[in-house]
Amino acid sequence: MKNEKRYTTISIPVQLNEKLKEKISGTGFHSVSSYVIYVLRQLVSSSYEEKKGFTKEDEKRVRDRLKNLDYL
Amino acid sequence: MFIIGLDGATWDIIKPNIDKLPTFKKILSQHDNYTISLQQKPWSASVWCSMFSGKLPEEHNHLDFVKDGEVQTRNDVKVDFIWDILSRNNISVKALNIPFIVPPYNYNIYFNPPGYGVPLTQEELNTEITEITNKIVSVTGDSKPELFIAVYTALDKMSHLHWGGESLIDYYIKIDKAVNKIFELDEKVLILSDHGFTDYDKAPVQTLPKITSTGNELKGDHHPDAIAIAKNIPFKVNQPIDVFNGLISYFNVK
Repeated sequence: MKNEKRYTTISIPVQLNEKLKEKISGTGFHSVSSYVIYVLRQLVSSSYEEKKGFTKEDEKRVRDRLKNLDYL
Repeated sequence: MFIIGLDGATWDIIKPNIDKLPTFKKILSQHDNYTISLQQKPWSASVWCSMFSGKLPEEHNHLDFVKDGEVQTRNDVKVDFIWDILSRNNISVKALNIPFIVPPYNYNIYFNPPGYGVPLTQEELNTEITEITNKIVSVTGDSKPELFIAVYTALDKMSHLHWGGESLIDYYIKIDKAVNKIFELDEKVLILSDHGFTDYDKAPVQTLPKITSTGNELKGDHHPDAIAIAKNIPFKVNQPIDVFNGLISYFNVK
């Protein structure tokens, strides 16, 4: 497992990189990378919460309505 | 720019009843309007998907709300939509109730559609018009995005169930009143449908069985002639993908 890659490279526009550098100036973020990782984790987490918000019961109701119209 | 979708709207109801539809009468006399004769099959999920992704059905491969018994979600549709691309280019965009999936999709807006986006009762069908219109007015009042897309979906269900009946004309009158409230909210407005409608037995495709399993008899089904009304829109929509292509060109993004 010694050679297992734990990070990969993602390209962002140079202009955006510059804006992010300005944004993190004076904050606890030491690099644009650490800030981007933080934001993306927040985003992934909130997407998951949204998905959880649509419950199995909601999904059943949608399926029942589609069945009513014979889509299912 | 403001794009208003009217699922299943057809000239075959609007034009013969134009004197009952004062908003349509006024805007048709003042702005470009034409028929979009679909070359792709007039299936709502697939057409709305093409319209806002720029992909033909064989490219996006999203043909219906359900695939292999599973209700499709945004994650099942492997395309970038216009709102994804504009956002990446720092152009503000919101999308409300886009029915390529069920419940319809929202982007940068929270909206809980009546009847989970499959309105069945008359109350749900009527409520959809009010709730969508109120949401449009509130969104444009708060902070108007550079592109706003909103779709009224319940007209499709009304047309399936009540084609040829007076209650469908009454529903178009409600839509006419809603359009009156929102048409002046932007200088550039495009109203369009994803397909038209006709008698069930004359429809070139049957999207649903004539007698549903719950015993309802469907009176209408989809026709490939959709509508377009364009106020200051700098592109023509000959096919659904032209909406996406026109927006990409207008906003000068890739």
